[in-house]
Amino acid sequence: MSATPAFDEMRNADGSVREPYLVLDAWLKEQPPQALGLMAADAEAIFRRLGITFAVYGSNEGTEKLIPFDLIPRIISAMEWRKLSKGIEQRVRALNAFLHDVYHRQEILKAGRVPEKLILQNSAFCPEMMGLDPAKGIYSHIIGVDIVRVGPDDFYVLEDNLRTPSGVSYMLEDREAMLQLAPELFQRLKVAPVENYPENLRRTLESVAPNSARSTPTIAVLTPGIYNSAYFEHSFLADQMGAQLCEGQDLFVDGGKVFKRTTLGPEQVDVIYRRIEDDFIDPLTFRPDSMLGVPGLFDAYRAGNVTLVNAPGTGIADDKAVYTYVPEIIEFYLGEKALLPNVPTYNCTDPEQRAYVLEHIGELVVKEVHGSGGYGMLVGPASTKAQREDFTRKIIARPDNYIVQPTLALSTCPTYVNAGIAPRHVDLRPYVLVGDQVRITPGGLTRVALTEGSLVVNSSQGGGTKDTWVLEE
Amino acid sequence: MLGRTAQNLFWLSRYIERAENMARLFEVGYRMSLTSRREGGASEHLVSMMQAAEIYDEFQLAHERADVTSVSHFMLFDEKNPSSVRSCLLAARTNARTERTALTSDMWESLNAAWLEFAAINPKSVTGAKLPELLQWVKQLSHQFRGALLGTILRDDGFAFSQAGSFIERADNTARILDMKYYVLLPRSNLIGGDVDIQQWTLILRAASAHRSYRHVYHDRYKAWNIADYLMLRPEMPRSLIFCARFLDQTLASLDAIYGKTGESRAAAAALLAMLESNDMDRIFAYGLHEFLTEFIARNNRVTETLSETYNFY
Amino acid sequence: MKISIRHQLSFAVGHGNAHAVQHILLTPLDGPTQKVLRWSIELDGMDRAARIFDAFGNSAQLVSQIRPQGDLVVTVEGIVETVDRHGVVGRLPRDPMPALFRRTTPLTQSDLAIHEPLRDGARKGGNRIELLHRLMGRIGEAYGIGADDEEAHEPAAQTQAQSQSSGGEQSQEQDAGVKPEADATTVTHAFIGACRALEIPARFITGYLAESEDGPAAFHAWAEAYDDGLGWIGFDSMLGICPTDRHVRVASGLDALSCTPVRTVPDLGTPQAHGLSVEAVAQ
Repeated sequence: MSATPAFDEMRNADGSVREPYLVLDAWLKEQPPQALGLMAADAEAIFRRLGITFAVYGSNEGTEKLIPFDLIPRIISAMEWRKLSKGIEQRVRALNAFLHDVYHRQEILKAGRVPEKLILQNSAFCPEMMGLDPAKGIYSHIIGVDIVRVGPDDFYVLEDNLRTPSGVSYMLEDREAMLQLAPELFQRLKVAPVENYPENLRRTLESVAPNSARSTPTIAVLTPGIYNSAYFEHSFLADQMGAQLCEGQDLFVDGGKVFKRTTLGPEQVDVIYRRIEDDFIDPLTFRPDSMLGVPGLFDAYRAGNVTLVNAPGTGIADDKAVYTYVPEIIEFYLGEKALLPNVPTYNCTDPEQRAYVLEHIGELVVKEVHGSGGYGMLVGPASTKAQREDFTRKIIARPDNYIVQPTLALSTCPTYVNAGIAPRHVDLRPYVLVGDQVRITPGGLTRVALTEGSLVVNSSQGGGTKDTWVLEE
Repeated sequence: MLGRTAQNLFWLSRYIERAENMARLFEVGYRMSLTSRREGGASEHLVSMMQAAEIYDEFQLAHERADVTSVSHFMLFDEKNPSSVRSCLLAARTNARTERTALTSDMWESLNAAWLEFAAINPKSVTGAKLPELLQWVKQLSHQFRGALLGTILRDDGFAFSQAGSFIERADNTARILDMKYYVLLPRSNLIGGDVDIQQWTLILRAASAHRSYRHVYHDRYKAWNIADYLMLRPEMPRSLIFCARFLDQTLASLDAIYGKTGESRAAAAALLAMLESNDMDRIFAYGLHEFLTEFIARNNRVTETLSETYNFY
Repeated sequence: MKISIRHQLSFAVGHGNAHAVQHILLTPLDGPTQKVLRWSIELDGMDRAARIFDAFGNSAQLVSQIRPQGDLVVTVEGIVETVDRHGVVGRLPRDPMPALFRRTTPLTQSDLAIHEPLRDGARKGGNRIELLHRLMGRIGEAYGIGADDEEAHEPAAQTQAQSQSSGGEQSQEQDAGVKPEADATTVTHAFIGACRALEIPARFITGYLAESEDGPAAFHAWAEAYDDGLGWIGFDSMLGICPTDRHVRVASGLDALSCTPVRTVPDLGTPQAHGLSVEAVAQ
């Protein structure tokens, strides 16, 4: 749909196959005509049996859908990955330093490098976090960085997810499925493993246990429950790393410590990987009507008796309006230039930029500052006149509520569709763990827009996933 | 283990066992109704079967007439009937989904596959020969889940809670089947049963999958006294009350050993078992079969209550 | 001045809750205007309480009871020695960055009519302290405080219940006149909102007010605004003065909500006040 054809990760413009994809291309050619169709059916059966489903917002409670899995892997060369992972590591270090600063001395605001109002008046800023010292000074331990590619060497960071990024279970299950479906490919290519993610997650969580914790800290995964769209992932991760999956009702606070209710009585919990949003984790401190949280949890956290992963208030660092300042943030704290560029972003509160945006809205992508999951978003080239008019009105009414970016020609990857193999747009979410060290799982989750020409890869909007292979040298 | 996990495992097994028992009970009522010689007898059998399962009041709320179509729909597919096979399987799967981390993948997969298969059935298509076929399928899926459980699960507290759930449910069911037809089992002056009696006895045994094994144990024709003895006091019969109570007692003993404490639930299980071990059929008949079964069901419920107090179900 | 305080509150816990948890903000700290000579809070479960400093530098306790029954009674007792420093609190060791207190909250929205005429003065970098006094005067006029001595002081005593309910409820004893209803929480929010609208950091303060000839003892509320030179300075809009040695400072926060003296889960509603005495004691 965009004017210039998108960069295809497998084929050059002249039709020749790019180097990382040579083995895959050969393998695809060897497959008998019906083989891929049968494999796709097998894959579906595997996922359905495993019970990997997600609930769709707005649909009936308990409605479960399978996120479509595409069996053609997305391949990243060792060199490309090196470049990406360096840029990602730089970014997560800087963002954690930023979080520590805004919740302590606020040097970056005093220096005027990031507007004070943007932070202190932001609803994602959590005043209750002021002065709190999380274990090892880390705020966001589990991060998913959304990256898009538009050319052989052009990667952009689209979004940082520092609150509770989801999808890592799909990364692991996609790999599991590929190992079952095409074991011979793994013999021909050296693919970097992703299987140690749960072990690394556990190590990361253990490394940020409070000082008072016993030598093997007790870890709990706090879930909103089975009706949450990511429940499968919560239970999967708890299982894989040998932690207890808890709901709010399973935990209680006594004497400033957190306990779980077991068949043997109370047992203290040291680290909580919480998959409940900030507002809901503790009705005593945050939303009093929350039924999901644990009353007193935040005070126990402040008392240093438990570690919350991620810390509350990390949303201020992945706020869409703060996003535009990330290159500035990297420079301020690390004294380095950002290795991975941001997508150029228009600021609608600036009258000149707003005028440009309103004039070119048909070419641009408009995102609500606090929206997520592909909701509250306008993709200009794919929009109707009514949608464009609607967003024009919205931007004029609340310019600070939107950020606007050019429509990027997201790279495409060969994808198995009804008509055979065809290019579809993809993005990439690598997963980063920050604890005693920064651990980045090679690859991550590739999301693919299954509709021809579509640029929206969100699973809630008909996107699928692919296994992502980082080749080892 | 979380108290809630223990509770979920306990009920997961109960729901599966109950789904199987609902299929068994319905099968009895269904066969009785097919072979009933009297006009209107068909409905009567189905009604007494539902009364035994304590679901008849619920049935009456929505149905005027008990016939095979309405009762089979109610017992197999009705979402509003909390004991229907569908409700049991859905509840079991919901519990399983909640406790994925406490189940083995074999257990989860057998249950998930069963639910998906069941959910795909169009209730209207289940007529004629398809009905017994479906009942058989429900029993099979319960066997399959039990097999997956026995073959793969760690013999820890989770196993114990799960087993406790199964045997409490099974004891409850056997007691109800007996209670449904207790009057045809009462000793009478006429020691040789008539055709109708024999037919009813057969069905009681069938409901417990015991009609063939009976011969191996008693080497005799069907007799009321034997049948009651078989389903209540024979320790080798896996659906008998004494078998269930013994198993429950051992299970709770193992739980006490795992936790290093003596729970109140153990005493409740011992009280349940004592009812059977200290009795024989003569004394039970003298006490009153119906009264005995009522007391048994109450004591069995007491085990569930004490379990949930002792192990923090909430 | 030595001030002796006794304050008792109770909540109906009822039966059937496995747990009750409270966050208690009723502990004054030493500072330039006061020295805490003795302080105690009695409450079931206090012996196991976690003691923490919250985001605003307050001393808080997290208290919990297992299977609570009947009434939950909080008894506060203590003696604090105060000094009149014309409201100047300065800088306290645990204060967060002053800029934080420019954040507006739903409870601290400002009325344009109040702050707008002062905007020029604020912008020109004139004398901030004088500006703040003018602002306090405007708030007093807007809420009809000081026109009549009785009216000025009586509402202060009502603050007890008021601030406990997080400023959400309206005082019921005020006549529904032309002026907006005045109670310490409302006027303090108005003052803070106006400061923030003028980009001056301002915070909400709860504390005790000793009884005097001019008025009864109260669990009271006032504001502090920030001056780059002097640091934090108190403004008691309800009394139209800067806090004196009759004021015992207890907790600070963004608004009444973040200073709620006792927050409870399950929500036990507004506490019953059983007794409050705040008296100057002879030296």
